[in-house]
Amino acid sequence: MDAARKLIAERDRSRGLLIAFEGPDGSGKTTQRKLLARWLESRDHQVVSTRWASSALVKPLLKVRKKIRTLSTEEYSLLHAVDFRHRVETSILPALWAGKTVLADRYLFTALARDAARGLDLDWLLNAYSPLLWPDLVLYFSMTPEASRRRIASTRAPHFYEAGQDVTGMEDPLASYSRFIDRVVKEYNNLSVVFQFVTVDAGEAVYRQHMQVRQFVERAEKRPWSAFSEDAVREWLTKANIGAA
Amino acid sequence: MADKSEYRGRLIAIDGSRGKDTNAAAAALIEALKAKRVECALSRFDASGLFGELAAATRGDRQISARTLTLVYAADLAFRLRWEIRPVLEAGGVVIASPYVETAVAFGIACELRDEWIRELLRFAPKPSLRARAEERKINKGWKPRLDRGYAEYCAAMLEASSPRLASKAARREAVALLNRPRGRKVFRLSDKGVDALVKALTGSLRAAPNRSASKPRSARR
Repeated sequence: MDAARKLIAERDRSRGLLIAFEGPDGSGKTTQRKLLARWLESRDHQVVSTRWASSALVKPLLKVRKKIRTLSTEEYSLLHAVDFRHRVETSILPALWAGKTVLADRYLFTALARDAARGLDLDWLLNAYSPLLWPDLVLYFSMTPEASRRRIASTRAPHFYEAGQDVTGMEDPLASYSRFIDRVVKEYNNLSVVFQFVTVDAGEAVYRQHMQVRQFVERAEKRPWSAFSEDAVREWLTKANIGAA
Repeated sequence: MADKSEYRGRLIAIDGSRGKDTNAAAAALIEALKAKRVECALSRFDASGLFGELAAATRGDRQISARTLTLVYAADLAFRLRWEIRPVLEAGGVVIASPYVETAVAFGIACELRDEWIRELLRFAPKPSLRARAEERKINKGWKPRLDRGYAEYCAAMLEASSPRLASKAARREAVALLNRPRGRKVFRLSDKGVDALVKALTGSLRAAPNRSASKPRSARR
């Protein structure tokens, strides 16, 4: 066993848990993520939350390009991959390594579902996001496209890319969203089978969902880094100059 | 994802281990084509402005990896293809892409990324009609970390703190060796003679097949 592999296997025992929150817009992921963070903190866990497209590096680049609607499907996808990779290397992995629990408000499955719904090839997307850092638990807040549309319509008009107007070509954001979210939910449902998501019914009352989430987290087992995520961790160790990697 | 369109125009890819050399090679080729009355467009590194904005955003705190920079390169290339390269190809013109895919592959491998990962990432880029290599200068030196020269020099500057090996001669030699590796198709060396040979090949191909059918617009999977 080489030194890096040994180090990774040893750290697997003390590292934190990586929990991903996935689901369509309006499914209540952020509410549940906040409730879980509070509950875990009350039990003396150190918790780090990370949100989609939030890295200090990429957020400004993405924001301005989204605003002026200049991104092609590939550019949109690749800039999210840049953001994701940067967060994995600078915030998610360091926190896990230090034993903290990481709650990811959307993870790479968001990119897979949205970008596949935009017509990009799933194999190409998986390659762009590799080497993969597997979450230990994926909580999928499941709801119908119609329910997602209703919830979004009751609060705001969806943004251009959120509504998928770049691919539907429709002028009305809500009409576009209705069509686009249908594809996204289909992709999510396929992914949930392949990647073994744990499903939470997003139509349930918030508290009941939270109780369910607690149970899933209490029962969650680590996906060993050495079996699932060794390449990603090893690359980060080398870059961060940790140990003999 | 892979772009297999049959374009009317011609795409010339110039790759090399240093931006300074690929820029000089592209300028020499444009001059030579002008002399033959062949108009051409040029697509250069960072047309999207992403790299420039990234450098400004990371000033003082450059925690960025070679993999992240390769993803940015792919995003920049997607931008260049959409605005600078495909429109010219669809209109039947000539466009020089300097740098193109091989530069990113060679530099990525020198940074210990896998060849297959980079090629799969960049597979949306159409195959060039003609491939060329910039003449390598100062071959016994590593990359000079500079943000304003080209991709390799930019990466050397961004990765200076985390990967000091990159500025070494060995890393550059590795990139040059990878660029020199034969990959089945003829690669023109852009020395004086090489420029002439490339111009001849291009004008010959323009005469031989001036009216190839226009490409079909790309469409989404469903």
